[in-house]
Amino acid sequence: MTVVDGETQAAAFEVPIVDSPPEAQQVGWRHRHLLDVDALSWPDIELVMRTTDAMREVLRRPITKVPALRGRNVTILFYEASTRTRVSFEVAARNLSADVVNIAAATSSVTKGESLVDTVRTVEALGAQMLVMRHSVSGAPYLAAEIFSGSVLNGGDGWHAHPTQALLDLYTMQARFDDGSLAGRKVVILGDVLHSRVARSNIWTLTAAGADVWLCGPATLLRGFEAWAGRGAADGRRFHVTSSVDEALRDADVVMALRIQKERMAAGLLPSLREYAARYGLTRERLAAARPEALVMHPGPMNEGVEIAADVAAGAQSVIEEQVRNGVAVRMALLYLLAGTARS
Amino acid sequence: MTVVAGAGVGAVVANLEISRAWLVDPASGREGPGGIVVTDGVVEAVTWLDDADADGIDDRGIVVAPGFVDLHVHFREPGNEDAETVASGLAAAAHGGFTTVCLMPNTTPALDDPAVLAGVRAAALASGSPVRALAWGAVTAGRAGASLAALGELADAGVVGFSDDGAGVPSADLVRSALTYAGALGLPIVEHAEDATQTAGAEANDGFVATVLGLRGWPAAAEESAVARDLAILPEVVRDVPAARLHLTHLSTAGSLDLVRRAKAAGLPVTCDVTPHHLAFSDEWLAGARRWAWEATGDPWGDGTGAIVTAPYASSLRVNPPLRAPSDAAACREALLDGTADAIATDHAPHTSVDKDVEFGSAANGISGIETALGVVLAMVDADLLTLAQAVAALTTGPARVLGARWGSAAAPGLVEGAPADVVVFDRSATWTVEAGALASRGKNTPLAGRELAGRILLTVAGGRLAYEAETD
Repeated sequence: MTVVDGETQAAAFEVPIVDSPPEAQQVGWRHRHLLDVDALSWPDIELVMRTTDAMREVLRRPITKVPALRGRNVTILFYEASTRTRVSFEVAARNLSADVVNIAAATSSVTKGESLVDTVRTVEALGAQMLVMRHSVSGAPYLAAEIFSGSVLNGGDGWHAHPTQALLDLYTMQARFDDGSLAGRKVVILGDVLHSRVARSNIWTLTAAGADVWLCGPATLLRGFEAWAGRGAADGRRFHVTSSVDEALRDADVVMALRIQKERMAAGLLPSLREYAARYGLTRERLAAARPEALVMHPGPMNEGVEIAADVAAGAQSVIEEQVRNGVAVRMALLYLLAGTARS
Repeated sequence: MTVVAGAGVGAVVANLEISRAWLVDPASGREGPGGIVVTDGVVEAVTWLDDADADGIDDRGIVVAPGFVDLHVHFREPGNEDAETVASGLAAAAHGGFTTVCLMPNTTPALDDPAVLAGVRAAALASGSPVRALAWGAVTAGRAGASLAALGELADAGVVGFSDDGAGVPSADLVRSALTYAGALGLPIVEHAEDATQTAGAEANDGFVATVLGLRGWPAAAEESAVARDLAILPEVVRDVPAARLHLTHLSTAGSLDLVRRAKAAGLPVTCDVTPHHLAFSDEWLAGARRWAWEATGDPWGDGTGAIVTAPYASSLRVNPPLRAPSDAAACREALLDGTADAIATDHAPHTSVDKDVEFGSAANGISGIETALGVVLAMVDADLLTLAQAVAALTTGPARVLGARWGSAAAPGLVEGAPADVVVFDRSATWTVEAGALASRGKNTPLAGRELAGRILLTVAGGRLAYEAETD
């Protein structure tokens, strides 16, 4: 991933006119799939951000629908329970006038019945042109992309990646800062980093944006990240890993809390949710160590009272609902851009 | 090279004459230019040329060596014949230059009873292949890890030792019993060193690559603690049963090999093998890199030289133990050089596409590797990491020594006049491209598909009979 420092460079692309079909646009988008953010250059990310601006404009209209993807089949194949991401993709696709097919496959059907390969071939035979996919196994969308002749959008795979989440997080942060830049801003990702695809994808986009990235959580949930931090992510940029929440939150510009799951106790990684909430929960008192205007974020779904206090989640600094709103616009932008490069 | 009246696989090699080749004879420690004549299946003459006559012959052309010995193969019969049969496995072995293979007992049912062994032997006989099929018996009944299998009966039936490969023997108590009981029978326990409590759900070597790819970490300590446990028990057993022997298969970490190195220095009766893939691949391949381990940088994304050449998460790379860091691969090579590792064993593990062409985390563990082993080993020789003689020894005399008395009545692997011909002939100057569909194995699960390897096998002769002959162009 190439990184553009400091000043915003002159745009190397045209922002598309999103009312028209994507094929007609010459916007310089070259990716057929969106599997992870690590394959995106900084100009690619900027193009997603500016296309998202255009989609936000669509969403402010009285009728939030454009005909850009009319007649195109977007199949949403989720092997894991999800409400927010699935609905967000569905709303995004419908706003672009795509035909949406929703498939909720239980994880067990992978091992007990039809293989992923067969399922992907089947949905393609049923007319899928773009495949939005969530799967509990890291890397599964790469297998789908190998056999699917259209575009695969990763809606989250195992612990590995959640590219649309990272891009909507980036968009939300940029929109809130006066200069629109994250360069030098201290962004803290707090919680169960080990099991988090949100954290992994955010590491790439945030280091690419030049942010001062801090990962914080109980040491058992940071396993392996110190080694990554030392080597760096986008363009070799380093980031920080600490189990000291005080060190992490001091003068932070953004604090993103991650969901903590009960299974972590059974696996012996944490003593109890109570202890987690006491030592790492994002409370008003803890947040006071951050900058006064610091943003509070959460990818959802939240366990209020565990990783984030209810008053913080609903407080003035919280942009959690904005994340959800921007998620629709970002996914519209990505569907639109990918539709322009999908094989017809 | 001329082969006369070699009618087909299984036929006695009536007349074979190879002149002006490079001979490697690990039994005598000799290598150099020369020739070999086989008549009616027997080595009639081994001739060594002196310098004056050897003009133009070097070790980079046609090489003649004793047939290779593989301590660790999975032929899946009985129970999973879609993945491999004894016949297809033996054909694959011959295609890889192997003339003796030792079958792991994790079939269905497990080879924990002489009747299963009889079935395997019948299948080998029926195949018509002259490649010698030896078998490990299971350590525990049904490989269930609870009680000892019929070790004595299996020994009487001719197994070469015992292994629960696919899993470690779970309890220390049972390892002690197995080493003791098998030791009294004069046979080794072959341990797959893995503490399963540390590897539940594990997908990839616990390290940088796994962290970035979001794969569940498979710690080196899961292997090393099992090795340490067995090595702590072994001297206590040896005190009672001096013939007790431990062989550790497919060791993959620097720490494991250090433990073995120290145990050998202390005089313990322990041997070990390493696989071609742990010697030459690394966990960077999971990220999409395809550099040999000795060319790896330790950071497939960050070295700025475009290490990533293919899609990540190729399930053909899922293997137990997992591909480790480049430094572990270096430790495996170092262990071969200093004698800590006794042999290269392929852990040939064929799988069907149903079990393998799935999500990385759902894929079966294993690499179909017996046909690519020589090419991978020669890549190390080409990189000057290993001499040709060391490579051949690790594939012949090394594993034969591990088998000890169960190697059988045949002389140690060598080029010996008067003995039945057991030789492989390959051309180091000829490359071949690995094509999954062209493998003799039913297991097409190779991460080397499309890769060009050196050392095309021209001819494999086992026990005086033709095992494999390359088609002439």
